[in-house]
Amino acid sequence: MYYQSINFGNEEFHAYPNKSLYWKRLNTLIVSDLHMGKSISYAKNKQFLPPYDTKEILNKIFVSLDKIKPSNLIIVGDLLHDVFSTLSIKDQDYKNLSQYMKNTDFIWIKGNHDKNIQIEGFKNFTNYKIGKFLFTHIPIKTSLFQICGHYHPKVKIVHRGKTIFKTSFVHNKKILILPSFGILTGGLDVHSKQISDVLGKNNLSIYPVGQDKVYKL
Amino acid sequence: MNINKSNPLLLHPLNKWMKKKKWSWFPHQIETFHHVRTGSDVVVFAPTGAGKTLTGFINPIDDLIKLKKFKGLHTLYISPLKSLANDIVRNLEKPIKELDLNISFQVRTGDTTPYKKQKQKQKPPNILITTPESLALLNSYENAKEFFHNLKYIIIDEIHTFLDNKRADLLSLNIERLQTFSPNLQRIGLSATLKNKQDAKKWLCRKKPKIIFYENSVLPKIKILESKERIPWSGHMATYSINEIYKEIMKSKLTIIFVNTRAQAEYMFKNLWLINKKKLKIAVHHGSLEKNLRLKVENNLSKGLVDCVVATSSLELGLDYGDVEKIIQVGAPKGINRLLQRVGRSNHNLNTPSKAILVPTNRFEFIEAKAAIEEIKKNNLDKIDLKEGSFDVVAQHIFATACAGQFDINDLYKEIIKAYPYKKLKLNDFKQLINLIQDGGYVLKNYDQFKRIFQLRENKNIYKLVNKRETRKYRMNVGTIIENPMLKIKLGTKTLGNIEEVFVQNLSQGDSFIFAGQVLEFQLMKNNLVQVKRSKSLISKIPSYSGGRMPLSTNLANSVRALLAKSNMRDLYPEQITEWLKRQKNISKIPKKDEYLVEQFPRKKNFYTVIYTFAGWHANQTLGFLLLRGFKEFDYKPLGFVANDYAIVLWSLKEVKEIKTILNLGLLDKHLDNYLEETSIVKRLFRDNAIISCLIERRLPGMEKTGKQVLFSSDLIYTVLKKNEPDHILLKSSYEDAKKNMIDYDRLREILKKIDKKIILKKLTCISPLAVPIILEINRENLSKKETDEYILEDLENEILKEANVLSIN
Repeated sequence: MYYQSINFGNEEFHAYPNKSLYWKRLNTLIVSDLHMGKSISYAKNKQFLPPYDTKEILNKIFVSLDKIKPSNLIIVGDLLHDVFSTLSIKDQDYKNLSQYMKNTDFIWIKGNHDKNIQIEGFKNFTNYKIGKFLFTHIPIKTSLFQICGHYHPKVKIVHRGKTIFKTSFVHNKKILILPSFGILTGGLDVHSKQISDVLGKNNLSIYPVGQDKVYKL
Repeated sequence: MNINKSNPLLLHPLNKWMKKKKWSWFPHQIETFHHVRTGSDVVVFAPTGAGKTLTGFINPIDDLIKLKKFKGLHTLYISPLKSLANDIVRNLEKPIKELDLNISFQVRTGDTTPYKKQKQKQKPPNILITTPESLALLNSYENAKEFFHNLKYIIIDEIHTFLDNKRADLLSLNIERLQTFSPNLQRIGLSATLKNKQDAKKWLCRKKPKIIFYENSVLPKIKILESKERIPWSGHMATYSINEIYKEIMKSKLTIIFVNTRAQAEYMFKNLWLINKKKLKIAVHHGSLEKNLRLKVENNLSKGLVDCVVATSSLELGLDYGDVEKIIQVGAPKGINRLLQRVGRSNHNLNTPSKAILVPTNRFEFIEAKAAIEEIKKNNLDKIDLKEGSFDVVAQHIFATACAGQFDINDLYKEIIKAYPYKKLKLNDFKQLINLIQDGGYVLKNYDQFKRIFQLRENKNIYKLVNKRETRKYRMNVGTIIENPMLKIKLGTKTLGNIEEVFVQNLSQGDSFIFAGQVLEFQLMKNNLVQVKRSKSLISKIPSYSGGRMPLSTNLANSVRALLAKSNMRDLYPEQITEWLKRQKNISKIPKKDEYLVEQFPRKKNFYTVIYTFAGWHANQTLGFLLLRGFKEFDYKPLGFVANDYAIVLWSLKEVKEIKTILNLGLLDKHLDNYLEETSIVKRLFRDNAIISCLIERRLPGMEKTGKQVLFSSDLIYTVLKKNEPDHILLKSSYEDAKKNMIDYDRLREILKKIDKKIILKKLTCISPLAVPIILEINRENLSKKETDEYILEDLENEILKEANVLSIN
């Protein structure tokens, strides 16, 4: 798989087109905002989205784990969409998960969507510190480098009179935001007020995710 | 039949009023009265000005007077437009008030206040004038049956607008529902003249079907603008003739200028203002303008307070503006029916001809305009093809049915297949649509606990809505018209209208653009509002509205071919067009009526293939994509293509040697599926399907969801569904829609079936005169939006003309 190198906090990370981030030195894979079971949550309101999102998200994770064989998998929040979402995880999925957990440490940082939900075998954290890096769903006040999710960043690109939106990794000096790893999730413009409040407006490094490649702007 | 001897209408309650007005009954009115009275469902074809509205009401009014103080709803009148519904009320009011008849009538559309709607439900008027969407809503109420059970007549106005679209599907299903409620219901269709009258009859009539028609013997007077200027080879803005158009406006009391797109409307309006030395009152009217602005223009038009209105199809239907003296059609007519409809807007007096001037914006359009005039003289109208009903509309109808109360699926199925568009609906497809409404209809039964409708335990054929709250969601999603994502434009606190979100995304702060005839400066976008201020900028963009591009009708295309093949050019065209065609004849060839000319020539290191199909834009667009794939297979290294209504041009790195081998029916069978997969056509139609079938909501209560977000998530749904459940009913439905509408599948098939034997291949050393217009389109499409000003085009045009060695001919 092609990746894009991202230098953040004097460490090298690899951004993959499947929207995961890999920290090579520590053999750690990072994903964010999976929102598994979003379809079920919508079905509750009679919006019947195709019920295949959880299956596809787990497959994507498993493919990555098979290829990279990381020691740690850090999920920086919103693994699940809401309380109903666990209904979308089938027995076979649990079995597969526990197989993978034998070789990889799953670290689940709670997000605003899944703070009150438990899944067997998953270790929960509100945030997680490794050296000068803090993994958290929403950035907090700290002098540490933060790797987080929550905002589902996307970037608007205008070129030759055409406008496109692309899901993106984005960071400033201190904070890196991952794109959503989910299947049915939308996005927020990196220049929107919400993201600007966190990252500021200038000196952003933006990495739009293409079909088979992560680009750099 | 000898109805003239004793006209039964002389005893009609309205006869007194007719006499007072010194009007006499039309033959078709007498016929209608007779046939409806003896139990027939009828379709009446009559030109504007022949008392069409009154014709529909003759029997209902007679019946209501005889019944004396009839309580409840007696007659339903369906109009395609809200504005038309209001107009009908005004027309009906006159005789009923003047004769002091004891008949109540009201209008009910999306603009009617909730209070009034509530009143209408408690105490329905005798005659209700409404739209297909409002009828669908009425049918979704629990008391629908009591409301309609005494209904005697349903009148469908402008029925020709209801034959070939999803709105027609929706209406047909709801008419069948009314028939179930009131088995004695009779149907009356009113229409402008139509070629395939039988089809309209089949669509509407059930009981003793009868066609009644009245042909206008006075033909309209249509001519082409005699321009002293040079008619350009390409382009659609008619800049060359603006002074001559202005002179024409000055000559008439009141003129409507029809154009084909909203962008053209803004452009034409702006250019007229620039030369408006006489300070004529000129206004602009199109569908994106705020309702109040539109109503103001319409009002001024009917009172004769303006000199000229530049309009799109928004002013095409129905409304009676008595004082309009002249119609100017700028741009290609595209179809005979459409042109007649537009021309008919002038002079609503039956015995004097309507007057119209056609302004072709380029040379091909000149031939098209000429052909259209010929066909109108022969009264050769376009056929409107009936379409097979779409699945998504059935899904919406099932939801509506559930909102009205529990239902038996077998009864519902039997009722649906009575509607003409759904005669062939398979039970299995219907059941899948039931499942779609129940829980999305997925193979994985994940949503058992979240169903929207459910089967009763004691009778598996009976379905019921889970809870009342769902009715609200249906009501917010009713209808089949899906707008592109639009944003409101605000000038200060005043709303000017709606603009496509895609256009706004390309604007930066300070950019100026033209809307509602004003130059505006983009300030910011906030909460789905586009804030603008007035601008003095001279350089401005014009919003391009996607869609609305009408393909050339097959009928007119055939006529263009026939005209082109005629040898007496000098009698037909002005000097410059004749020269153009003569040169084509010398350098290449002018195709005969049934021939397909293919020209090939090298140009700027590339190899060009031009195919003149006259198949209309949709079919040519599809053919272009298919040929790209065909060329790839033969390793000709194709680089791109451009299509218009008349032709396709492809350019490739290598010479295309086997065009006759590639261009045939096999091309369609081999590559169509791939084509549908790769382009966004099915994806876009899937969005419409998902919204119409209520799988996703247009807007969630309490949640502002912009159109863009809907588009975004429906794309995701499409991708997931296609991967996991390619046989899902909504994918099937979208695919069918694509085949039916977007790609002109049948038309393309007809052409490809016979094309291989009719190809005339011309190998040339350089571009031919006939190919210049489409080659120019290549350059235009490749320019960024900022640069598309006309003078740049002109410059480009000159460059290419030099290349083609045709500068000498003007």
